[in-house]
Amino acid sequence: MYSLIKNEVIKMISKKRLMFVLAILVVLISVFAYGQNQTLARTKAQLSQRMGITATDDWRKLAGQQLIDLKNRLDSPYMDEKNKSSTRVRMEQLQYNVDNNINPLEQSAAKFTTKFMEQAIFLFLPLLIIMLSADMVSGESSSGTIKLLLVRNVPRWKILLSKYLTLVILEVLVVFFAFVLSAIISGAFFGYGGWLAPVATGFKVLAGKLDSTSVLNVPQWRYSLMVYSLAFFVAVVVGSISFMISILVKSTAASIGIIMSTLVAGNFISFFLTDWKITRYMFMVNLRLTDYLSGSFQPIEGMNMLFSITVLLGWAIASIIISFVYFTRQDILV
Amino acid sequence: MLKKSMWYSILTIACVGFIVLAIGFYQAIIITTAANPQPSAKAETPQTSPVSTKLSSQNANSFKLLILGDSIAKGTGDEKGKGFSGYLTESFKNVTSKEIIVNNAGIDGLESLGLLEQLQNKSLDKTISESDIILVSIGGNDIRSILSLNDLAKEDQFKVRMASYLGNLKQTMKVLRTTNPNSIVIILGLYNPYEKVSSAEDTKLLNTWNYNTQLLVEQDGKGIFIPTHDLLKFNLGRYIAKDGMHPNSAGYQALSNRISKSVEPIISGL
Repeated sequence: MYSLIKNEVIKMISKKRLMFVLAILVVLISVFAYGQNQTLARTKAQLSQRMGITATDDWRKLAGQQLIDLKNRLDSPYMDEKNKSSTRVRMEQLQYNVDNNINPLEQSAAKFTTKFMEQAIFLFLPLLIIMLSADMVSGESSSGTIKLLLVRNVPRWKILLSKYLTLVILEVLVVFFAFVLSAIISGAFFGYGGWLAPVATGFKVLAGKLDSTSVLNVPQWRYSLMVYSLAFFVAVVVGSISFMISILVKSTAASIGIIMSTLVAGNFISFFLTDWKITRYMFMVNLRLTDYLSGSFQPIEGMNMLFSITVLLGWAIASIIISFVYFTRQDILV
Repeated sequence: MLKKSMWYSILTIACVGFIVLAIGFYQAIIITTAANPQPSAKAETPQTSPVSTKLSSQNANSFKLLILGDSIAKGTGDEKGKGFSGYLTESFKNVTSKEIIVNNAGIDGLESLGLLEQLQNKSLDKTISESDIILVSIGGNDIRSILSLNDLAKEDQFKVRMASYLGNLKQTMKVLRTTNPNSIVIILGLYNPYEKVSSAEDTKLLNTWNYNTQLLVEQDGKGIFIPTHDLLKFNLGRYIAKDGMHPNSAGYQALSNRISKSVEPIISGL
């Protein structure tokens, strides 16, 4: 088994596909970081034009004032109990900025790295994973090498398992490199700090509404860890599904086409989500797991973190089962 | 050889990465689903306002001011934290010897609908009925979000917002009047904090808004509309806080002076 996996990994590396994925990551992250840098400069210019102050220098006064306001708001007897914890969280963040002399307008490598994956999780990351997984089996069929694999004295399921585990290893690598690369590249633009800054999380959905009573601050590094873990989970799910398709469909092009169009369709199918309940059981609309962390999602009755994870897990397990059943029973006619 | 070292490094990254990511995944689930230990059992009922604990007999030797509305009512932006509550009290002290009690129920970001709901849920009724003067600042948040629209959409949106705002304000006045027919109701006009980047069109819309508000308010015999636009127009640098939107300490003071001058005879006669 061990040598089977090793063989598969080496095969994938010599196919240069992983290098290709990493190259895409480097290019895109550089472009995004550069763009963010430009936007930041423009925002600052706009702010100083509109308010007649240099937003970069005077932020301390502004933050101090906001702190007073929030404190007053917290003390107000008319304050809704529900909003109190989010106010408290906001105050902690401001206080941290003031204490550590961090202009809240400034970007940091940590913020960028997290943002990047939050945006990549529902389309970009799955596409990268598809590039790796879509021809794992169909590639062998189309080039005919599958015969050589299967005539060896190894059970078929072991061969497939080794391929699947290789895929998981590659998924870890992609997520790992996405993290490292975006931290390094954006650090060159924004500086390498910011990993200890507090980030608000812990939003819940109660009766179809966003509930912020249990909001709390976690340090940025922990938050990004959670974001990247969810990204990895998404990668595994998408990987499993496209792995299955690559077994069912013999041609690599068809396999990539199918899974990609499903993903892209999923992005606009969520517009119909509120009207059409069945769409929420599709894996594509459940990919935005990080939105549950940041609380930036549209609360929809019945959808929450556990629901999405269960749905995704269901899809992954079903695909794996179908893959193994089909692959072990199938006649190979090449 | 290269392949071998590469394989081992990949294997290490994969194993360590997998474990770390699994931990992170577990945390992410816990943080979004686990029940929070802090119970909100000690939810205070908003009826008991600590400021108005002195429930002295009505109008005997105290003078009561109630401030309603948005962040400006609350005093947001004042670096000294006083706002209208502070400065109006100071001004009124020169005019009357009575004890001045201020209730401030301003809420940041409140829109006219929110104000109406706040009044309709009755928790403020007691305070309203005891107040001699009610100061309302509302409307800024209703109109703020249309600023970024293009001119065409802006005008359409403006009409819609203004209609709903005027409806809400009318209802608000009605509620205030049913609860307390005798108090003086002061409604503050809007000003334009973004004067420097505004077009003539924006100014026109703002004036329309203020004019209609004034018409509505002064249908009530004891209602008064106090403009703020004229006072702040050339004073943005001096009177606007660092956030670029709310008045600062000097701004609140200037506005309070104006308000206090307008109602002085009534206060001294009380």
